[in-house]
Amino acid sequence: MTTKQRSRKLLTGSLAALAAAFSGAGAQTIAIQNARVYTMANIAGDALQSGGGVNNLDVIVRDGVIAAIGEDLAAPPGATVINAQGRIVTPGLFAPWSQIGLVELSLDEEANDSATDGEGEFAFSAALDAADAFNPASTLIAINRAGGVTRAVAAPEPGLNMFGGQGAIVDLSGAPTSIVRAQAAQSVAMGSAGIGYNGGTRLGNWAALRDALDEARAYAANPGAYLMRPRAGGLSIADLRALGPVAQGRQPLVVYVNSATDLRALIKLKAQYGVNAIVLGGTEAHLVARDLAAANIPVILNSWLNLPSQFEDLAATQANAAKLQAAGVTIAFYDPPSGTHNLWLLPQLAGNAVANGLPYGAALAALTINPARIYGVADRFGSIEIGKAGDIVVWDGDPLEVSTRPIAVLIDGKVTSLKNRQTMLRDRYKDLSRGDLPHAYRGAN
Amino acid sequence: MRKVFHMAASLAAIMAALGCAGKGDKDADAAKKDAEGAAAGDDAAAKEPAWTPGRWASDPYPSTYAPYPSGTTVIRGATLLTGTGARIDNGTLVIADGKIASVGGADVAVPSGAAVIEAKGKWVTPGIIDVHSHLGDYPSPQTDSTSDGNEATAPNTSQVWAEHSVWPQDAGFTRALAGGVTTLQVLPGSANLFGGRSAILKNVPSRTVQGMKFPGAPYGLKMACGENPKRVYGEKGGPSTRMANFAGYRAAWIEAAEYKRKWEKYWDELAEWEEKNGDKKKAVKKGEENGKEPEPPTRDLKLETLAAALAGDVTVNMHCYRGDEMALVLDMAKEFGYKVRTFHHAVEAYKVADLLAANGVCAAVWADWWGFKLEAYDAIRENAALVDAQENSCAIIHSDDEYGIQRLNQEAAKAMADGNKMGLKIAPERAIQWITANPAKALRIADKTGALEAGKMADVVLWSGDPFSVYAKAERVYVDGALLYDAKDKRRSPRADFEIGQQGEGFTGGAGQ
Repeated sequence: MTTKQRSRKLLTGSLAALAAAFSGAGAQTIAIQNARVYTMANIAGDALQSGGGVNNLDVIVRDGVIAAIGEDLAAPPGATVINAQGRIVTPGLFAPWSQIGLVELSLDEEANDSATDGEGEFAFSAALDAADAFNPASTLIAINRAGGVTRAVAAPEPGLNMFGGQGAIVDLSGAPTSIVRAQAAQSVAMGSAGIGYNGGTRLGNWAALRDALDEARAYAANPGAYLMRPRAGGLSIADLRALGPVAQGRQPLVVYVNSATDLRALIKLKAQYGVNAIVLGGTEAHLVARDLAAANIPVILNSWLNLPSQFEDLAATQANAAKLQAAGVTIAFYDPPSGTHNLWLLPQLAGNAVANGLPYGAALAALTINPARIYGVADRFGSIEIGKAGDIVVWDGDPLEVSTRPIAVLIDGKVTSLKNRQTMLRDRYKDLSRGDLPHAYRGAN
Repeated sequence: MRKVFHMAASLAAIMAALGCAGKGDKDADAAKKDAEGAAAGDDAAAKEPAWTPGRWASDPYPSTYAPYPSGTTVIRGATLLTGTGARIDNGTLVIADGKIASVGGADVAVPSGAAVIEAKGKWVTPGIIDVHSHLGDYPSPQTDSTSDGNEATAPNTSQVWAEHSVWPQDAGFTRALAGGVTTLQVLPGSANLFGGRSAILKNVPSRTVQGMKFPGAPYGLKMACGENPKRVYGEKGGPSTRMANFAGYRAAWIEAAEYKRKWEKYWDELAEWEEKNGDKKKAVKKGEENGKEPEPPTRDLKLETLAAALAGDVTVNMHCYRGDEMALVLDMAKEFGYKVRTFHHAVEAYKVADLLAANGVCAAVWADWWGFKLEAYDAIRENAALVDAQENSCAIIHSDDEYGIQRLNQEAAKAMADGNKMGLKIAPERAIQWITANPAKALRIADKTGALEAGKMADVVLWSGDPFSVYAKAERVYVDGALLYDAKDKRRSPRADFEIGQQGEGFTGGAGQ
C-alpha cells in the first residue's frame, strides 16, 4: 500500500465516523485542515483562469456558517477535524435549474409533480408554487448530495400554458426545512417550446408574454378595479397575482429561449419592461453575447449542445460557454444526462466546457457562485467566505474530472451522509452468492 | 406531460426490424457450423467466433462501402490501449493498406515512406463502437418530417428495417465521428415487442445508407421488455401486462419456427429436385422426370427476420431493464433455441451479473442514467463494473443518445471510477473494451474491428490525452486507415448537407474549430 493509498483510507475512515457521529446533530464546529481551497470569492483576472486555488488552507465552520479561512488555524475546542490532506475543497455545487423534490420518476404521473399536464378544467400556471410540493425525502436529494450538490433551484416547468410557476431555492439536506427561499423565480417557455401555447408562432409568444405582463401590472396597480373589468379568458387572477413581482422586476423570470432572434427580442423586452430575465437554454446565445452582457442577462446553458436539434439551434456549439464568458455574460449549467436525477453531473458539463475553451476558474464559478449571483443570494451562498453558509465539498480529485467524487459534503456547516439508495443497492448486490438468506436481508441497514 | 426545457432525445426513444429470406445455402450453413465449432475450443469470451452467413442471411440492400484512400501511417510514442486488454506505453502503431499492420513498443520498425506522427503524451485506442444508437432514424433536426425511428403501430413490427429510415445527412453522425465513434448499430425504437431490424454502420459520411453499411456484419433484431410495450399498447389492444409481453414473444416465435421449417423443407426439396433435374445434359427420359419443381412457400417479411434470428443469422438485441425479466428472457431463448446476444439498457444487470456471464450475454448499459421510469429506478453507478467483474463477462457502455455517443469515453470513465472506488481494480486497458472490443463482439464483428491487432480494420482514434479524462478530445479519427476527422484541420471535418449555408455552419464536433 502506497502512502497515498493509506492516507486516503485513513481519511475515508475518519469521515465515515464523522458522518455517523454527526448526521442529524445540531450545531457543529468543523475544522477542515490542509486543503487546496477554491473559495470562489472575487473571481477575476488570474483567478478566473486558474480558479484561484490556494494550498494549505484551513476552513473553520461554526454554527452553520464559515467562521475563518486561513493558514494553520487552530481547531476550536470540540471541533470535528477533517484533514483534507491536500485535497481540493470548493463551495457546494448550486444547481441553477432543476425539478429536485418535485420529480421522483419522470414517466410516472403520481411520482412527478414537475409539470401540469394541461388536461381537463385545470386553470393555473404562474401561480403554481414549488414550495407547496417540494419533497425533502426524495431519493434524488441524497443521491445528488453525495455528488456534491448542496443548493438548487427547484422549479415546475410549463404544462398548461407558457408559464411554469414559481420555483424555490432549496438546500439538499433532506430536512423539512430545506426551502431557503420560496417564490424565488418564475419561468416562461418561449421559442419552439412556447409556440404550442401561443398560436404556433414566435410572434404569438412575445405578444402573449407582453400581454401577461401588462395584465399583471394592471392587476397589481389596483386589484379591486381590475376585478370589476370584464374579462374574457386569459390568465386566472391567481396567475396574474403571481406574475406581479415578475412584471415589477422583483422576481427573476427564467426564459427558455434559444435562437439569436428570440434573444434579441428578449433584450428589447427587458429594456421595455424591466423584467429580471435569466436565459435558460440559449443555444445561440454566443451570437448575441455582447448584447446579453450589456443587458446584464445571465445564461444557464447545457454546454454539450452542438446539434441543430431545431431550427432555433442551428448555431449550437460547444464553444457557447467560452464565448459567452469571454463577452462578460454570467453563465451557469443545467440539464446533465438524466436531468434532475443527475445534477451531480453538472461538473461534467463544466469540464467539457473547459475542454472547449472555458477558463477553469470560470467553469468552477459557473457551478457555485454564479447561480447564487443569478438568483440574488450570493450574500449567503456560492463561495467560501466568512459569514456565508457552510456549504463545502471535499473532493478526491479535480472536481471537474469525470472520475472525481466527493469525500465529504457539508451543508449549512453540517457533515452530511453520503449514503443513499444507490449505494445501498450496490452493497446489497455486490456479492451475488446465495448465502444463508436471500438478498432481501442484506444491505438495508 | 411536456418536458419543454430539456434535450428532446432519449425518453422519446421508445422505439423498433425483419427480413429477407435468402435462398437456402446448405454449404454456407455447414461452413458456419465449422467455424463456430473451431472457435469453441478457444476462450469464448476473448475469441468470439466470426459470423459466417448461413441459410437465412441475405442482404438485398448490400453495402457499397469501400475504404477511402490512405497511406502508410505510423503513430509513435503514444500510450496504446489495444482493446485486447493490453496497455503499451511509448507504443508504436503501424497502419498500412487500411489495416493495422503492427502494434508494439518503441522497437517496432517504421516502414519506409510512412507518414510518422510523433504522439508522445497522447493516447491511441481502437475506434469507439456504439451498440445502441438512433442516429439517422431520429436525426437532427428533430421534426415530424425526420422522426423515423419507432414504428409504434403494432406490437410486432419485425418487418421494418432501420436502414430504410436512416437519413445519411444526420449531423449527429459527424459529431459522433468527432467523438471517436467509427462503428455504430442503429436500432429501431423500443415501443414494440419486436421492433425490427437494426443497421450496423461504419461512421463514414455517405450519400446513401448502403455506403455506410458495415461490410459483412449480420443484421440485428430489436426486441423490448417491460414498460414500453405496455405503455404504448395498453389501451390499443395490448399487450397491457408483462405476461402479455411474453405471450406475444412466444406466439411469434412459434409462428417463426413453423415458417423456418417450411422454408428449409422447401430449400431441401428444391435442392434435391435440382440435383435430379438441373443438369440439362443428362437426358431425362420422357415419363421419368423426377416430379414437379417444388412450390416455394409465401414470403412473409416479419417471419423472415424472426426465422433468421432463430437460425442465428440475425443477432438478437433485447431492451430489458429489470434483472428478473432478463432471467425470463434467457429461459425463453432456450425454449425456442435462439441466442440473446445483448441486453440493452440493462439497468439491473448487476443483480443478475452471474446469470448473464453464465449465458454468455452482453449487458449494454449507461454509466449513470436513471429514474425516468420505475424499471430504471434501481440504477447504480457500479453497474458496468459489477457486470465486468464476473468471469466471462461482456460489459458494454452504450449511448442511446446523440450527445452520449459523442463522449462514450467519458461515460466509460465514470463507470470505471465508480467501480474502482468500491474496490474493484479496473485498469484503463480493461475499461476501453467496454466501448471497443465488447461491442464488436456483441455485433459479431470482432474478427474485423474493435481492437488494435494486426490484420484488423484500421479504425483508430488518436486522443489528445488520457481518453478517460474529461479534458481529452479525439484529435484524429481513422476509419479503415483513412483520416476522416482531424480536430486541427477543418478540411478533414465532415459537414452534413443540412448545415451547409446555415448560420453557424455546424462545425463538426462543436470543438470550437
